[in-house]
Amino acid sequence: MSDARDTVAHAGWLTADKPSLPDEIPLTLKRVPSGVDEVMTEHLVVNMGPQHPSTHGVLRILVELDGEEVIACESVVGYLHRGIEKLAEHRRYSAVGTLMDRGDYVSGIHNEMAFALAAEKVADIGVPRRANWLRVLMGELNRIASHLVWYGTMGLDTGAMGQFLYAVRDREDLLDILEDVTGQRMMFNYVRPGGVLNDLTPRAEKKIRAFLSTFDAYLDEHHALLGGNEIFQARTRGIGVIDKETAIAFGLTGANLRASGVSFDVRRDRPYAAYDEMDFDIPVAESGDIYARYLVRIEEMRQAARICRQCIDGLPEGEHTAKVAKVLRPPAGEAYAAVESPRGELGVHLVSDGTDRPYRMRYRPPALFGLQAAEAITPGTFLADAVAIFGSVDVVLGEIDR
Amino acid sequence: MNVYLVALLRILAALGLMLLNGVVLIYMLRKVLGYLHVRLGPMELGPHGVFQTLADVLKLLTKEDPTPTHVDRALYFLAPGIVFVPSLMAYAAIPFTGTWVIADLELGLLYTFAIMSLLPLGLVAAGWASANKWSLIGGMRSVAQQVSYEVPLLMAALPPVMIAGSLNLTDIARAQSAVWFWLPCLPAFLLFIVAGLVEANQTPFDMSEAESELVAGFATEYASMKFGLLFLSEFSNTFIFSSLLVTLFLGGWQVPFVPVDALGGWAAVVFLIKVYLVIFVLMWIRGTLPRVRIDQLLAMGWKVLLPASIVWVMLTGAAVKLWPMVFGGVQ
Amino acid sequence: MSWFGSGILTGLRITMRNMLRGPITVQYPHEKLEIPERARWAVEMKPDEDGNHKCTGCLACEKACPDFIIKIDVTTAEDRSKHIDRWHYELGACMMCGLCVEACPFDAIRMGHDYELARTDVAELQYDLLTDVAAAQPKRKAAAERPAGAERPAPVAAPEAAAAEAEVEPQKGGEQS
Repeated sequence: MSDARDTVAHAGWLTADKPSLPDEIPLTLKRVPSGVDEVMTEHLVVNMGPQHPSTHGVLRILVELDGEEVIACESVVGYLHRGIEKLAEHRRYSAVGTLMDRGDYVSGIHNEMAFALAAEKVADIGVPRRANWLRVLMGELNRIASHLVWYGTMGLDTGAMGQFLYAVRDREDLLDILEDVTGQRMMFNYVRPGGVLNDLTPRAEKKIRAFLSTFDAYLDEHHALLGGNEIFQARTRGIGVIDKETAIAFGLTGANLRASGVSFDVRRDRPYAAYDEMDFDIPVAESGDIYARYLVRIEEMRQAARICRQCIDGLPEGEHTAKVAKVLRPPAGEAYAAVESPRGELGVHLVSDGTDRPYRMRYRPPALFGLQAAEAITPGTFLADAVAIFGSVDVVLGEIDR
Repeated sequence: MNVYLVALLRILAALGLMLLNGVVLIYMLRKVLGYLHVRLGPMELGPHGVFQTLADVLKLLTKEDPTPTHVDRALYFLAPGIVFVPSLMAYAAIPFTGTWVIADLELGLLYTFAIMSLLPLGLVAAGWASANKWSLIGGMRSVAQQVSYEVPLLMAALPPVMIAGSLNLTDIARAQSAVWFWLPCLPAFLLFIVAGLVEANQTPFDMSEAESELVAGFATEYASMKFGLLFLSEFSNTFIFSSLLVTLFLGGWQVPFVPVDALGGWAAVVFLIKVYLVIFVLMWIRGTLPRVRIDQLLAMGWKVLLPASIVWVMLTGAAVKLWPMVFGGVQ
Repeated sequence: MSWFGSGILTGLRITMRNMLRGPITVQYPHEKLEIPERARWAVEMKPDEDGNHKCTGCLACEKACPDFIIKIDVTTAEDRSKHIDRWHYELGACMMCGLCVEACPFDAIRMGHDYELARTDVAELQYDLLTDVAAAQPKRKAAAERPAGAERPAPVAAPEAAAAEAEVEPQKGGEQS
């Protein structure tokens, strides 16, 4: 027990207002006593704390290092907890969408869509065809924006600065489009139970077509700049391998799962909105390392642009929303709806008790499972690899902490 | 003039050059990185932000300078000095023109390398003395990489020495009047660039201050002017390394097809233009490439660069001896 | 060495190409980008053609706001006319979701386009949009045809607002001419 107590004191868990140690101390981070290797070395417990240039949000990772090699790794979450699930029990259905926006703030449309689908199932609301196509269009644009953020921060984690700004340049075009249509650049409040808030504007349509005409060339440039770089490949090939069994055991979904060889995509296997009318491929890679996850996400961006092209060309006529009561009072019941967010299967389990506020809303965050998987595979790699691994599973703390 | 007065003026010239170089390089770095990143860089202070460096220097001078509690006081205060002084001394042997050099040493190249090899000492002192695990890791990484790459750096600098027949940097530059050495010694040129980037702590080899992993590496606990000294010396090292590259491989102050006498005082300007062009290329590389991992870097240094540089030295030696026998006359 | 280094050289070429494309940024305080029509920033009153506010004191926006930012004090006089004592808005807590504007049946408020909302004093982050004014008359056909003189318990939401809460499609404004 003394070793763990030393470690706890060493790791800074004692604070001024909590001067005594709790009785049960998790024995995750054991400090090896000096002299065990016959070389008088100590393991360092380093705290990549909530403020760090490389944790994607306020994530705290405790790492025990032997020189440069990671022996044990433990992540601490909760610094961004705002009580979204609890607040949802006190908001009307029209206002829960504003809460969902703030979960995975990088891809707000998908969060709102999951909740809207769940509410529609519980209240038995049909959605017009044009609304579904608009949802798909905005969702795929948001997917490209989210993957661009991931691409840029992947570059920053490995040390390259230029990639981030080129990704952000393309993301600016997307955010302009989203602002034109929805009114805000990030907290859209656009997808509602029954449809979407408002229709496309002619200016937005022109911007979307302009963006799609240049995006493929820019994507090739992004891929050549980072993925084609030998240094990046040396940093990512064969590192952070998540094999198929581990991925399924941890409940990974999305690009993390597809990079480990399992072909599962909610858009194809449990289609929602207008995805059964779209023609797109699901990229799958076999090796499960960081480079595979990188390739899968680049290809997903390409496929998302393909879907957007189909949407904008074939957008059907009709209403952008069904007629829904301003204050929604669904009958008592429960429903689970899942969407394919850029991070994986984002699910909302909604329980209604017949009033105008949900009884319980459970938000399944795909990035949480990715974080747990990353934590499990990090021991045995180097510190620089640990940073790259946590970046490659695409964690967004807003979703994990809710 | 009095010998001591001349010596003092030369020392002040070196100091002034170092400070001026720091000022120019900070501004140049921010502007070049800005344009590479499709943005503008500093624009507010002065036309196109030229006075930004002045504001930065004033900020560094007036900033609060807290000393953390558990630092090793002697080393903590000495480390910026240990890093700063060799960078200043290395300006001594750099030839700006055939006659403008602070100290025309017969062993100029050896002197410069010897002085620069004191830098890892200062970096590891800074890393150790700050009571901070991140700094410790940064310091350890920097000493590992810089000590490993000393030998390939020196070996890569040997072919020009062998062809010119002297360690005096002025003579090596003068010997390139016919052809600049980067062409006949191309592998040595590339090896020198790689090894020099490692020595100068530039991306893709800046692991010791890897911002996305170690916050600021060995310099995390330094503030105000101590931090200023550390980074001034880093910019100086970049200048020294670039000027060595220009002197050894790119013809020093000479312009092709123009005799040296016709240049006169402009030769110094030519030299500086070349050095800053090389620094621009280094910044271009900095804004593009990701960082190499420390074990991959050390593996590359010991297993690839060292044998390659030894092989190239042997080949150059053989060629230098055989050339007069085959083609007649001395080069 | 060239096939090994080709990715690096391509990368360098791409960065140089981007550098030569020129910067995409605008220097903010001196140049500003225009924002689209639907952009949602601070809530403001939307006056009619004569410059009068259109708020009838129906409190639909106050009920719709998820964070209880809007606080309206309304007194109803003997003749059923309403007087808005205070239309209080907490800018500092507003998340600009637009639900209040969607809920208003009289098109009296809109999401403004003023995004330079930084203030140096916290007290300036909450203010009144209307102070001590008479509420506007609801210009709905239903109101004109209602028999006059019927007693109503005070203060309640206007009947138009109650109808709006029940089964009306979520559009902005009402039957404004």
